[in-house]
Amino acid sequence: MNAAAIAALRLLGGVILAGLVWEAAVVGFGIRPHLLPRLSEILAAFAVTPGAYWAGLQRTAAETLIGFAAGTAVGIMNGVIFFRAPLLRDMLLPVFIVSQTIPVIAFGALVVMWFGNTLFAKAVIAFYLTFFPVTVNTLLGLNSVDPRQVALLRSFGASPRQILFRLQLPMALPQIFVALRLGASLSLVGAIVGEWFGDNTGIGVLLLQAMYNESVVALWAAILCAALLGTGFYALVAWAERRIVFWGAEQ
Amino acid sequence: MNRRHILAASLAVPLATALASPFIRPAGAQTLVRASLRLKWLTQAQFAGFYVALQKGYYREAGIDLTINPGGPNLLTENLVASGADTFGLSGGTDSVFAARERGLPIVCAGVMHQQTPFVFVARADGPIRTLADFRGKTITTWFTGANFVLLGMLAQAGLNRGDFTMQPQQVSVQPFVDRQVDVVTATRYNEFFTLMSRVGRENLRSFVPDEHGITFPRDTVIVSEQTARDRPQLVSGFLRATIRGWRDALADNKLGVDSVMSVAPTLNRPHQEFMLVEAGKLMVAGGAAQNGLFWIDHPVIQAAHDFFLRNEVIKAPLDLAAAYNSSFLEALPVADRMA
Repeated sequence: MNAAAIAALRLLGGVILAGLVWEAAVVGFGIRPHLLPRLSEILAAFAVTPGAYWAGLQRTAAETLIGFAAGTAVGIMNGVIFFRAPLLRDMLLPVFIVSQTIPVIAFGALVVMWFGNTLFAKAVIAFYLTFFPVTVNTLLGLNSVDPRQVALLRSFGASPRQILFRLQLPMALPQIFVALRLGASLSLVGAIVGEWFGDNTGIGVLLLQAMYNESVVALWAAILCAALLGTGFYALVAWAERRIVFWGAEQ
Repeated sequence: MNRRHILAASLAVPLATALASPFIRPAGAQTLVRASLRLKWLTQAQFAGFYVALQKGYYREAGIDLTINPGGPNLLTENLVASGADTFGLSGGTDSVFAARERGLPIVCAGVMHQQTPFVFVARADGPIRTLADFRGKTITTWFTGANFVLLGMLAQAGLNRGDFTMQPQQVSVQPFVDRQVDVVTATRYNEFFTLMSRVGRENLRSFVPDEHGITFPRDTVIVSEQTARDRPQLVSGFLRATIRGWRDALADNKLGVDSVMSVAPTLNRPHQEFMLVEAGKLMVAGGAAQNGLFWIDHPVIQAAHDFFLRNEVIKAPLDLAAAYNSSFLEALPVADRMA
Protein backbone atom coordinates (compact mmCIF):
# COMPACT_ATOMS: atom_id res chain seq x y z
CA MET A 1 0.00 0.00 0.00
CA ASN A 2 1.40 3.38 -0.91
CA ALA A 3 1.72 6.41 1.34
CA ALA A 4 -1.24 8.28 -0.16
CA ALA A 5 -3.61 5.39 0.49
CA ILE A 6 -2.44 5.09 4.07
CA ALA A 7 -2.93 8.83 4.59
CA ALA A 8 -6.45 8.59 3.12
CA LEU A 9 -7.27 5.67 5.45
CA ARG A 10 -6.00 7.64 8.43
CA LEU A 11 -8.19 10.59 7.46
CA LEU A 12 -11.21 8.31 7.07
CA GLY A 13 -10.50 6.79 10.48
CA GLY A 14 -10.32 10.26 12.01
CA VAL A 15 -13.64 11.28 10.49
CA ILE A 16 -15.35 8.10 11.69
CA LEU A 17 -13.88 8.56 15.17
CA ALA A 18 -15.10 12.18 15.33
CA GLY A 19 -18.55 11.03 14.20
CA LEU A 20 -18.68 8.37 16.89
CA VAL A 21 -17.60 10.84 19.59
CA TRP A 22 -20.32 13.27 18.38
CA GLU A 23 -23.04 10.61 18.44
CA ALA A 24 -21.93 9.26 21.84
CA ALA A 25 -21.65 12.72 23.38
CA VAL A 26 -25.18 13.72 22.37
CA VAL A 27 -26.67 10.47 23.65
CA GLY A 28 -24.39 10.19 26.71
CA PHE A 29 -24.68 13.73 28.00
CA GLY A 30 -28.34 14.06 26.97
CA ILE A 31 -27.72 17.19 24.90
CA ARG A 32 -31.04 18.68 23.83
CA PRO A 33 -31.62 18.09 20.10
CA HIS A 34 -32.21 21.77 19.29
CA LEU A 35 -28.71 22.57 20.57
CA LEU A 36 -26.89 19.70 18.89
CA PRO A 37 -28.72 16.88 17.13
CA ARG A 38 -27.27 13.40 16.75
CA LEU A 39 -25.07 12.91 13.71
CA SER A 40 -27.23 9.99 12.62
CA GLU A 41 -30.28 12.30 12.50
CA ILE A 42 -28.39 14.68 10.23
CA LEU A 43 -27.30 11.85 7.95
CA ALA A 44 -30.92 10.71 7.87
CA ALA A 45 -31.90 14.21 6.69
CA PHE A 46 -29.49 13.79 3.78
CA ALA A 47 -31.07 10.45 2.98
CA VAL A 48 -34.61 11.94 2.89
CA THR A 49 -33.84 14.61 0.28
CA PRO A 50 -30.47 13.76 -1.24
CA GLY A 51 -31.37 15.59 -4.46
CA ALA A 52 -31.79 18.95 -2.72
CA TYR A 53 -28.40 18.72 -1.01
CA TRP A 54 -26.64 17.45 -4.11
CA ALA A 55 -28.15 20.21 -6.27
CA GLY A 56 -27.20 22.79 -3.66
CA LEU A 57 -23.65 21.47 -3.44
CA GLN A 58 -23.23 21.58 -7.22
CA ARG A 59 -24.71 25.04 -7.57
CA THR A 60 -22.62 26.56 -4.76
CA ALA A 61 -19.49 24.82 -6.05
CA ALA A 62 -20.05 26.27 -9.51
CA GLU A 63 -20.53 29.79 -8.13
CA THR A 64 -17.44 29.45 -5.96
CA LEU A 65 -15.25 28.11 -8.75
CA ILE A 66 -16.30 30.74 -11.30
CA GLY A 67 -15.80 33.56 -8.81
CA PHE A 68 -12.50 32.12 -7.63
CA ALA A 69 -11.18 31.62 -11.16
CA ALA A 70 -12.16 35.13 -12.23
CA GLY A 71 -10.77 36.60 -9.00
CA THR A 72 -7.47 34.77 -9.49
CA ALA A 73 -7.09 35.85 -13.12
CA VAL A 74 -8.02 39.48 -12.46
CA GLY A 75 -5.97 39.58 -9.25
CA ILE A 76 -2.79 38.33 -10.92
CA MET A 77 -3.36 40.68 -13.85
CA ASN A 78 -3.86 43.61 -11.48
CA GLY A 79 -0.72 42.67 -9.58
CA VAL A 80 1.37 42.60 -12.76
CA ILE A 81 -0.10 45.91 -14.00
CA PHE A 82 0.48 47.62 -10.66
CA PHE A 83 4.02 46.23 -10.57
CA ARG A 84 4.77 47.58 -14.02
CA ALA A 85 2.97 50.91 -13.56
CA PRO A 86 3.55 52.28 -10.05
CA LEU A 87 1.56 55.41 -10.90
CA LEU A 88 -1.49 53.29 -11.66
CA ARG A 89 -0.88 51.40 -8.42
CA ASP A 90 -0.85 54.62 -6.40
CA MET A 91 -4.05 55.74 -8.09
CA LEU A 92 -6.10 52.52 -8.03
CA LEU A 93 -4.94 50.48 -5.03
CA PRO A 94 -6.58 52.89 -2.54
CA VAL A 95 -9.85 52.54 -4.51
CA PHE A 96 -9.57 48.75 -4.25
CA ILE A 97 -8.99 49.05 -0.53
CA VAL A 98 -12.07 51.23 -0.14
CA SER A 99 -14.06 48.71 -2.19
CA GLN A 100 -13.10 45.99 0.29
CA THR A 101 -14.47 47.98 3.23
CA ILE A 102 -18.03 47.69 1.85
CA PRO A 103 -19.67 44.95 3.91
CA VAL A 104 -20.39 41.99 1.68
CA ILE A 105 -24.03 42.03 2.84
CA ALA A 106 -24.51 45.56 1.47
CA PHE A 107 -22.66 44.65 -1.69
CA GLY A 108 -24.89 41.60 -2.13
CA ALA A 109 -28.06 43.72 -2.07
CA LEU A 110 -26.64 45.80 -4.90
CA VAL A 111 -25.51 42.81 -6.93
CA VAL A 112 -28.97 41.25 -6.84
CA MET A 113 -30.42 44.53 -8.18
CA TRP A 114 -27.87 44.57 -10.97
CA PHE A 115 -27.73 40.91 -12.00
CA GLY A 116 -30.87 39.38 -10.47
CA ASN A 117 -30.94 35.89 -9.00
CA THR A 118 -28.43 34.42 -11.40
CA LEU A 119 -25.49 32.11 -10.85
CA PHE A 120 -23.41 34.95 -12.24
CA ALA A 121 -24.52 37.30 -9.43
CA LYS A 122 -23.15 34.92 -6.78
CA ALA A 123 -19.95 34.45 -8.75
CA VAL A 124 -19.54 38.24 -8.78
CA ILE A 125 -19.65 38.32 -4.96
CA ALA A 126 -17.17 35.44 -4.76
CA PHE A 127 -14.98 37.32 -7.22
CA TYR A 128 -15.26 40.51 -5.17
CA LEU A 129 -13.90 38.75 -2.10
CA THR A 130 -11.14 36.90 -3.99
CA PHE A 131 -9.51 39.38 -6.33
CA PHE A 132 -8.17 41.77 -3.70
CA PRO A 133 -5.93 39.42 -1.69
CA VAL A 134 -4.63 37.96 -4.96
CA THR A 135 -3.81 41.45 -6.27
CA VAL A 136 -1.95 42.43 -3.12
CA ASN A 137 -0.01 39.19 -2.82
CA THR A 138 0.93 39.14 -6.50
CA LEU A 139 2.32 42.63 -6.13
CA LEU A 140 4.11 41.63 -2.95
CA GLY A 141 5.59 38.56 -4.61
CA LEU A 142 6.72 40.46 -7.70
CA ASN A 143 8.34 43.14 -5.55
CA SER A 144 10.26 40.58 -3.54
CA VAL A 145 12.15 39.20 -6.56
CA ASP A 146 15.91 39.78 -6.20
CA PRO A 147 16.82 42.70 -8.51
CA ARG A 148 20.21 41.09 -9.16
CA GLN A 149 18.48 38.10 -10.78
CA VAL A 150 16.48 40.47 -12.98
CA ALA A 151 19.70 42.29 -13.91
CA LEU A 152 21.35 38.97 -14.74
CA LEU A 153 18.57 37.91 -17.10
CA ARG A 154 18.53 41.34 -18.67
CA SER A 155 22.29 41.11 -19.29
CA PHE A 156 21.58 37.87 -21.19
CA GLY A 157 19.25 39.90 -23.42
CA ALA A 158 15.93 38.68 -21.99
CA SER A 159 12.90 40.77 -22.92
CA PRO A 160 10.64 42.21 -20.15
CA ARG A 161 8.02 39.61 -21.08
CA GLN A 162 10.53 36.78 -20.72
CA ILE A 163 11.69 38.16 -17.38
CA LEU A 164 8.07 38.31 -16.18
CA PHE A 165 7.13 34.78 -17.19
CA ARG A 166 10.44 33.02 -16.54
CA LEU A 167 11.53 34.74 -13.35
CA GLN A 168 9.19 37.19 -11.69
CA LEU A 169 5.86 35.32 -11.79
CA PRO A 170 7.36 31.93 -10.82
CA MET A 171 9.18 33.62 -7.92
CA ALA A 172 5.94 35.31 -6.86
CA LEU A 173 3.99 32.01 -6.90
CA PRO A 174 4.51 31.12 -3.23
CA GLN A 175 3.04 34.50 -2.26
CA ILE A 176 0.21 34.14 -4.79
CA PHE A 177 -0.69 30.74 -3.40
CA VAL A 178 -1.00 32.18 0.10
CA ALA A 179 -3.70 34.45 -1.34
CA LEU A 180 -5.28 31.59 -3.29
CA ARG A 181 -5.68 29.50 -0.14
CA LEU A 182 -7.31 32.50 1.50
CA GLY A 183 -9.40 33.05 -1.64
CA ALA A 184 -10.59 29.43 -1.59
CA SER A 185 -12.36 30.06 1.71
CA LEU A 186 -13.44 33.60 0.88
CA SER A 187 -14.99 32.71 -2.46
CA LEU A 188 -17.13 30.04 -0.76
CA VAL A 189 -18.25 32.62 1.80
CA GLY A 190 -19.06 35.00 -1.05
CA ALA A 191 -21.12 32.40 -2.91
CA ILE A 192 -23.06 31.43 0.23
CA VAL A 193 -23.75 35.04 1.21
CA GLY A 194 -24.82 35.72 -2.38
CA GLU A 195 -27.43 32.97 -2.04
CA TRP A 196 -28.99 34.78 0.92
CA PHE A 197 -30.49 37.31 -1.46
CA GLY A 198 -33.39 35.24 -2.62
CA ASP A 199 -32.67 32.09 -4.58
CA ASN A 200 -33.98 28.55 -4.81
CA THR A 201 -30.86 26.39 -4.95
CA GLY A 202 -27.59 26.36 -3.05
CA ILE A 203 -26.01 25.62 0.32
CA GLY A 204 -26.71 29.22 1.37
CA VAL A 205 -30.40 28.80 0.59
CA LEU A 206 -30.53 25.59 2.64
CA LEU A 207 -28.74 27.33 5.52
CA LEU A 208 -31.17 30.23 5.50
CA GLN A 209 -34.27 28.06 5.25
CA ALA A 210 -33.11 25.87 8.10
CA MET A 211 -32.15 28.85 10.25
CA TYR A 212 -35.45 30.68 9.88
CA ASN A 213 -37.57 27.57 10.21
CA GLU A 214 -35.63 26.70 13.37
CA SER A 215 -34.96 23.33 11.86
CA VAL A 216 -31.75 22.45 13.66
CA VAL A 217 -31.16 19.14 11.88
CA ALA A 218 -31.44 20.82 8.47
CA LEU A 219 -29.16 23.60 9.69
CA TRP A 220 -26.46 21.12 10.66
CA ALA A 221 -26.93 19.27 7.40
CA ALA A 222 -26.29 22.50 5.48
CA ILE A 223 -23.30 23.30 7.71
CA LEU A 224 -21.81 19.88 6.96
CA CYS A 225 -22.29 20.50 3.23
CA ALA A 226 -20.54 23.87 3.48
CA ALA A 227 -17.72 22.31 5.49
CA LEU A 228 -17.32 19.52 2.95
CA LEU A 229 -17.19 21.97 0.08
CA GLY A 230 -14.84 24.36 1.88
CA THR A 231 -12.44 21.65 2.99
CA GLY A 232 -12.48 20.00 -0.42
CA PHE A 233 -11.75 23.21 -2.25
CA TYR A 234 -9.01 24.23 0.18
CA ALA A 235 -7.41 20.80 -0.17
CA LEU A 236 -7.55 21.13 -3.95
CA VAL A 237 -5.75 24.48 -3.87
CA ALA A 238 -3.18 23.17 -1.38
CA TRP A 239 -2.60 20.13 -3.60
CA ALA A 240 -2.10 22.37 -6.64
CA GLU A 241 0.34 24.45 -4.60
CA ARG A 242 2.42 21.41 -3.68
CA ARG A 243 2.49 20.36 -7.33
CA ILE A 244 3.23 23.77 -8.85
CA VAL A 245 5.45 25.36 -6.22
CA PHE A 246 7.44 22.18 -5.72
CA TRP A 247 10.56 24.04 -4.61
CA GLY A 248 9.24 25.30 -1.35
CA ALA A 249 5.69 26.24 -0.66
CA GLU A 250 4.47 27.12 2.79
CA GLN A 251 2.90 23.96 4.12
CA MET B 1 -30.09 14.06 -56.61
CA ASN B 2 -27.00 12.12 -55.79
CA ARG B 3 -26.05 10.78 -52.43
CA ARG B 4 -23.95 13.79 -51.53
CA HIS B 5 -26.86 16.13 -52.07
CA ILE B 6 -29.15 14.07 -49.94
CA LEU B 7 -26.53 14.02 -47.22
CA ALA B 8 -26.07 17.77 -47.46
CA ALA B 9 -29.80 18.36 -47.37
CA SER B 10 -30.30 16.08 -44.41
CA LEU B 11 -27.66 18.01 -42.52
CA ALA B 12 -28.85 21.42 -43.64
CA VAL B 13 -32.45 21.08 -42.55
CA PRO B 14 -31.82 20.46 -38.84
CA LEU B 15 -29.04 23.03 -38.89
CA ALA B 16 -31.30 25.69 -40.38
CA THR B 17 -34.03 24.80 -37.87
CA ALA B 18 -31.57 25.05 -35.02
CA LEU B 19 -30.31 28.41 -36.19
CA ALA B 20 -33.77 29.78 -36.74
CA SER B 21 -35.32 28.33 -33.59
CA PRO B 22 -34.75 31.42 -31.44
CA PHE B 23 -36.95 33.29 -33.87
CA ILE B 24 -39.64 30.65 -34.27
CA ARG B 25 -41.89 30.38 -31.24
CA PRO B 26 -44.76 27.98 -30.79
CA ALA B 27 -48.11 29.54 -31.59
CA GLY B 28 -49.72 31.22 -28.59
CA ALA B 29 -46.40 31.87 -26.89
CA GLN B 30 -45.80 35.01 -28.86
CA THR B 31 -47.75 37.23 -26.51
CA LEU B 32 -46.01 36.06 -23.31
CA VAL B 33 -44.65 38.91 -21.23
CA ARG B 34 -41.63 38.19 -19.06
CA ALA B 35 -42.16 39.24 -15.45
CA SER B 36 -40.89 38.35 -12.00
CA LEU B 37 -42.47 38.16 -8.58
CA ARG B 38 -40.33 38.90 -5.52
CA LEU B 39 -41.68 37.23 -2.41
CA LYS B 40 -41.36 38.80 1.03
CA TRP B 41 -39.64 35.75 2.48
CA LEU B 42 -38.04 32.37 1.75
CA THR B 43 -40.04 29.79 -0.17
CA GLN B 44 -42.71 28.35 2.13
CA ALA B 45 -46.39 27.42 2.14
CA GLN B 46 -47.33 31.03 2.96
CA PHE B 47 -46.86 31.52 -0.81
CA ALA B 48 -48.34 28.21 -1.98
CA GLY B 49 -50.89 29.79 -4.33
CA PHE B 50 -48.20 31.50 -6.39
CA TYR B 51 -46.31 28.25 -6.88
CA VAL B 52 -49.51 26.35 -7.76
CA ALA B 53 -50.42 29.03 -10.33
CA LEU B 54 -46.93 28.83 -11.81
CA GLN B 55 -46.77 25.06 -11.96
CA LYS B 56 -50.29 24.70 -13.35
CA GLY B 57 -49.54 27.25 -16.06
CA TYR B 58 -52.10 29.84 -14.91
CA TYR B 59 -49.63 32.70 -15.40
CA ARG B 60 -48.88 31.45 -18.92
CA GLU B 61 -52.58 31.35 -19.69
CA ALA B 62 -52.72 34.99 -18.55
CA GLY B 63 -49.89 35.77 -20.96
CA ILE B 64 -47.17 36.05 -18.31
CA ASP B 65 -43.86 34.19 -18.31
CA LEU B 66 -43.34 34.51 -14.56
CA THR B 67 -40.25 33.85 -12.46
CA ILE B 68 -40.73 33.60 -8.70
CA ASN B 69 -37.80 35.03 -6.74
CA PRO B 70 -37.76 34.22 -3.03
CA GLY B 71 -37.10 37.01 -0.56
CA GLY B 72 -34.91 36.90 2.50
CA PRO B 73 -33.67 38.74 5.53
CA ASN B 74 -31.53 41.21 3.60
CA LEU B 75 -33.99 42.18 0.90
CA LEU B 76 -36.64 44.86 0.85
CA THR B 77 -39.26 43.96 -1.73
CA GLU B 78 -40.36 47.60 -2.13
CA ASN B 79 -36.83 48.59 -3.22
CA LEU B 80 -36.58 45.81 -5.79
CA VAL B 81 -39.97 46.62 -7.32
CA ALA B 82 -39.38 50.39 -7.29
CA SER B 83 -35.99 49.93 -8.97
CA GLY B 84 -37.51 47.72 -11.65
CA ALA B 85 -35.44 44.66 -10.68
CA ASP B 86 -38.74 42.81 -10.10
CA THR B 87 -42.13 43.43 -11.73
CA PHE B 88 -44.35 42.29 -8.88
CA GLY B 89 -43.68 42.08 -5.20
CA LEU B 90 -45.36 40.42 -2.25
CA SER B 91 -44.10 42.86 0.34
CA GLY B 92 -44.23 43.10 4.11
CA GLY B 93 -47.64 44.68 4.49
CA THR B 94 -49.51 47.90 5.04
CA ASP B 95 -46.69 49.04 7.34
CA SER B 96 -43.92 48.59 4.76
CA VAL B 97 -46.07 50.15 2.02
CA PHE B 98 -46.62 53.20 4.26
CA ALA B 99 -42.88 53.42 4.93
CA ALA B 100 -42.00 53.11 1.24
CA ARG B 101 -44.54 55.74 0.18
CA GLU B 102 -43.29 58.07 2.87
CA ARG B 103 -39.77 57.70 1.47
CA GLY B 104 -41.14 58.59 -1.96
CA LEU B 105 -40.69 55.13 -3.50
CA PRO B 106 -42.97 54.91 -6.58
CA ILE B 107 -44.85 51.73 -5.61
CA VAL B 108 -48.56 50.96 -5.57
CA CYS B 109 -50.39 48.26 -3.63
CA ALA B 110 -52.65 46.25 -5.96
CA GLY B 111 -53.91 43.65 -3.49
CA VAL B 112 -53.72 42.52 0.13
CA MET B 113 -53.21 38.85 0.95
CA HIS B 114 -53.65 38.67 4.74
CA GLN B 115 -56.79 40.49 5.84
CA GLN B 116 -56.02 40.18 9.55
CA THR B 117 -52.96 40.82 11.64
CA PRO B 118 -50.87 37.70 11.01
CA PHE B 119 -49.03 37.83 14.35
CA VAL B 120 -50.09 37.36 17.96
CA PHE B 121 -48.39 37.87 21.31
CA VAL B 122 -47.92 34.66 23.23
CA ALA B 123 -47.53 34.02 26.95
CA ARG B 124 -47.53 30.79 28.93
CA ALA B 125 -50.98 29.56 29.92
CA ASP B 126 -49.70 28.48 33.36
CA GLY B 127 -47.85 31.79 33.90
CA PRO B 128 -48.90 34.98 35.69
CA ILE B 129 -50.09 36.72 32.49
CA ARG B 130 -53.85 36.34 32.06
CA THR B 131 -54.85 39.75 30.71
CA LEU B 132 -53.09 42.61 28.96
CA ALA B 133 -52.85 44.44 32.30
CA ASP B 134 -50.62 41.60 33.53
CA PHE B 135 -47.93 42.65 31.02
CA ARG B 136 -46.84 45.22 33.63
CA GLY B 137 -43.25 44.59 34.70
CA LYS B 138 -42.80 41.71 32.26
CA THR B 139 -40.21 41.16 29.54
CA ILE B 140 -41.56 41.05 26.01
CA THR B 141 -39.70 40.38 22.76
CA THR B 142 -41.15 41.62 19.50
CA TRP B 143 -40.18 42.77 16.01
CA PHE B 144 -39.30 46.41 15.75
CA THR B 145 -40.72 46.64 12.25
CA GLY B 146 -44.32 47.48 13.18
CA ALA B 147 -45.33 44.74 15.61
CA ASN B 148 -43.85 46.84 18.41
CA PHE B 149 -46.37 49.61 17.73
CA VAL B 150 -49.26 47.16 17.58
CA LEU B 151 -48.22 45.93 21.02
CA LEU B 152 -47.86 49.46 22.36
CA GLY B 153 -51.32 50.30 21.02
CA MET B 154 -52.87 47.22 22.65
CA LEU B 155 -51.18 47.87 25.97
CA ALA B 156 -52.16 51.54 25.91
CA GLN B 157 -55.79 50.38 25.87
CA ALA B 158 -55.05 48.40 29.02
CA GLY B 159 -53.60 51.54 30.61
CA LEU B 160 -49.94 50.58 30.28
CA ASN B 161 -47.28 53.00 29.07
CA ARG B 162 -43.86 52.39 27.57
CA GLY B 163 -42.08 52.41 30.94
CA ASP B 164 -44.33 49.80 32.50
CA PHE B 165 -42.74 46.79 30.79
CA THR B 166 -39.50 45.79 29.08
CA MET B 167 -39.67 45.46 25.30
CA GLN B 168 -36.73 43.87 23.49
CA PRO B 169 -36.06 43.18 19.82
CA GLN B 170 -36.85 39.58 18.97
CA GLN B 171 -34.12 37.49 17.38
CA VAL B 172 -34.58 34.67 14.92
CA SER B 173 -35.33 32.02 17.49
CA VAL B 174 -38.24 31.71 19.92
CA GLN B 175 -36.01 29.60 22.16
CA PRO B 176 -35.59 32.34 24.85
CA PHE B 177 -39.34 32.12 25.46
CA VAL B 178 -39.24 28.32 25.51
CA ASP B 179 -36.42 28.55 28.07
CA ARG B 180 -38.51 31.01 30.13
CA GLN B 181 -35.99 33.84 29.72
CA VAL B 182 -38.75 36.13 28.44
CA ASP B 183 -42.43 36.28 29.41
CA VAL B 184 -44.06 37.20 26.11
CA VAL B 185 -42.99 36.41 22.57
CA THR B 186 -44.32 37.58 19.21
CA ALA B 187 -45.32 34.85 16.76
CA THR B 188 -46.84 34.77 13.32
CA ARG B 189 -49.82 32.45 13.42
CA TYR B 190 -48.38 30.28 10.66
CA ASN B 191 -44.67 30.22 11.49
CA GLU B 192 -43.29 30.87 14.97
CA PHE B 193 -46.52 29.64 16.52
CA PHE B 194 -45.88 26.19 15.07
CA THR B 195 -42.41 26.09 16.62
CA LEU B 196 -43.89 27.17 19.97
CA MET B 197 -46.59 24.49 19.74
CA SER B 198 -44.03 21.81 19.03
CA ARG B 199 -41.68 22.88 21.84
CA VAL B 200 -44.10 24.04 24.55
CA GLY B 201 -47.41 22.44 23.57
CA ARG B 202 -50.55 24.16 22.26
CA GLU B 203 -52.39 23.86 25.57
CA ASN B 204 -49.57 25.66 27.42
CA LEU B 205 -49.82 28.81 25.31
CA ARG B 206 -52.05 31.86 25.73
CA SER B 207 -52.40 34.17 22.71
CA PHE B 208 -53.24 37.88 22.67
CA VAL B 209 -54.74 38.72 19.29
CA PRO B 210 -54.44 42.33 18.03
CA ASP B 211 -57.68 42.11 16.04
CA GLU B 212 -59.59 41.28 19.24
CA HIS B 213 -58.34 44.58 20.65
CA GLY B 214 -59.42 46.66 17.68
CA ILE B 215 -56.09 46.80 15.88
CA THR B 216 -56.04 45.15 12.47
CA PHE B 217 -52.92 45.17 10.41
CA PRO B 218 -53.42 43.74 6.91
CA ARG B 219 -50.11 42.33 5.72
CA ASP B 220 -48.55 40.60 2.70
CA THR B 221 -49.31 43.23 0.08
CA VAL B 222 -49.04 42.76 -3.69
CA ILE B 223 -47.11 45.74 -5.05
CA VAL B 224 -46.12 47.03 -8.48
CA SER B 225 -44.26 50.13 -9.55
CA GLU B 226 -46.27 53.24 -10.41
CA GLN B 227 -45.03 52.85 -13.95
CA THR B 228 -46.39 49.30 -14.29
CA ALA B 229 -49.69 50.38 -12.70
CA ARG B 230 -50.02 53.24 -15.15
CA ASP B 231 -48.78 51.64 -18.39
CA ARG B 232 -49.72 47.97 -18.01
CA PRO B 233 -52.93 47.63 -15.96
CA GLN B 234 -53.95 44.48 -17.91
CA LEU B 235 -50.69 42.81 -16.87
CA VAL B 236 -51.45 43.54 -13.21
CA SER B 237 -55.03 42.29 -13.52
CA GLY B 238 -53.86 39.18 -15.38
CA PHE B 239 -51.31 38.49 -12.67
CA LEU B 240 -53.96 38.82 -9.96
CA ARG B 241 -56.41 36.59 -11.85
CA ALA B 242 -53.82 33.83 -12.25
CA THR B 243 -52.66 34.24 -8.65
CA ILE B 244 -56.20 33.94 -7.30
CA ARG B 245 -56.76 30.80 -9.43
CA GLY B 246 -53.61 29.31 -7.90
CA TRP B 247 -54.72 30.18 -4.40
CA ARG B 248 -58.21 28.73 -4.89
CA ASP B 249 -56.59 25.44 -5.85
CA ALA B 250 -54.12 25.58 -2.98
CA LEU B 251 -56.80 26.38 -0.39
CA ALA B 252 -59.15 23.72 -1.77
CA ASP B 253 -56.40 21.08 -1.89
CA ASN B 254 -53.79 21.72 0.78
CA LYS B 255 -51.74 18.72 -0.25
CA LEU B 256 -51.37 20.14 -3.75
CA GLY B 257 -50.33 23.49 -2.27
CA VAL B 258 -47.70 21.99 0.01
CA ASP B 259 -46.45 19.70 -2.79
CA SER B 260 -45.96 22.71 -5.08
CA VAL B 261 -43.88 24.48 -2.46
CA MET B 262 -41.89 21.42 -1.48
CA SER B 263 -41.02 20.67 -5.08
CA VAL B 264 -39.07 23.93 -4.97
CA ALA B 265 -37.76 23.63 -1.40
CA PRO B 266 -37.65 19.89 -0.62
CA THR B 267 -35.87 20.18 2.73
CA LEU B 268 -38.80 21.96 4.40
CA ASN B 269 -40.67 20.27 7.22
CA ARG B 270 -43.96 19.00 5.79
CA PRO B 271 -46.12 19.09 8.95
CA HIS B 272 -45.01 22.70 9.50
CA GLN B 273 -45.86 23.62 5.90
CA GLU B 274 -49.29 21.97 6.14
CA PHE B 275 -50.00 23.94 9.32
CA MET B 276 -48.75 27.11 7.66
CA LEU B 277 -51.04 26.77 4.65
CA VAL B 278 -54.10 26.24 6.84
CA GLU B 279 -53.29 29.24 9.03
CA ALA B 280 -52.34 31.51 6.11
CA GLY B 281 -55.57 30.47 4.38
CA LYS B 282 -57.62 31.62 7.38
CA LEU B 283 -55.97 35.04 7.24
CA MET B 284 -56.67 35.29 3.51
CA VAL B 285 -60.42 34.61 3.62
CA ALA B 286 -61.08 36.71 6.73
CA GLY B 287 -62.53 40.23 6.88
CA GLY B 288 -63.40 41.94 3.61
CA ALA B 289 -62.24 38.94 1.57
CA ALA B 290 -65.35 37.03 2.65
CA GLN B 291 -67.60 39.29 0.55
CA ASN B 292 -65.19 40.70 -2.02
CA GLY B 293 -62.84 37.83 -2.68
CA LEU B 294 -59.15 37.10 -2.20
CA PHE B 295 -56.60 39.92 -2.16
CA TRP B 296 -59.33 42.46 -1.46
CA ILE B 297 -58.07 45.89 -0.38
CA ASP B 298 -60.26 46.86 2.57
CA HIS B 299 -59.87 50.62 2.45
CA PRO B 300 -61.49 51.46 5.82
CA VAL B 301 -59.16 48.94 7.55
CA ILE B 302 -56.13 50.39 5.74
CA GLN B 303 -57.26 53.88 6.74
CA ALA B 304 -57.55 52.80 10.37
CA ALA B 305 -54.04 51.27 10.29
CA HIS B 306 -52.75 54.46 8.69
CA ASP B 307 -54.35 56.64 11.36
CA PHE B 308 -52.98 54.38 14.08
CA PHE B 309 -49.46 54.74 12.67
CA LEU B 310 -49.92 58.49 12.35
CA ARG B 311 -51.04 58.78 15.98
CA ASN B 312 -47.99 56.82 17.07
CA GLU B 313 -45.76 58.98 14.87
CA VAL B 314 -44.44 56.01 12.91
CA ILE B 315 -45.34 58.01 9.82
CA LYS B 316 -44.81 61.72 10.17
CA ALA B 317 -47.45 63.13 7.79
CA PRO B 318 -50.70 61.78 6.32
CA LEU B 319 -50.25 59.75 3.11
CA ASP B 320 -52.33 59.83 -0.06
CA LEU B 321 -53.91 56.41 0.46
CA ALA B 322 -55.96 56.59 -2.74
CA ALA B 323 -52.69 56.76 -4.70
CA ALA B 324 -50.96 54.08 -2.61
CA TYR B 325 -53.76 51.48 -2.63
CA ASN B 326 -55.34 50.87 -6.02
CA SER B 327 -58.27 48.42 -6.19
CA SER B 328 -58.93 48.93 -9.90
CA PHE B 329 -56.85 45.89 -10.96
CA LEU B 330 -58.95 43.62 -8.76
CA GLU B 331 -62.20 45.34 -9.71
CA ALA B 332 -61.43 44.61 -13.37
CA LEU B 333 -62.03 40.93 -12.53
CA PRO B 334 -65.55 39.54 -12.01
CA VAL B 335 -66.35 39.04 -8.31
CA ALA B 336 -67.08 35.35 -8.91
CA ASP B 337 -63.50 34.87 -10.16
CA ARG B 338 -62.09 36.47 -7.03
CA MET B 339 -63.92 34.38 -4.46
CA ALA B 340 -61.92 31.77 -2.58
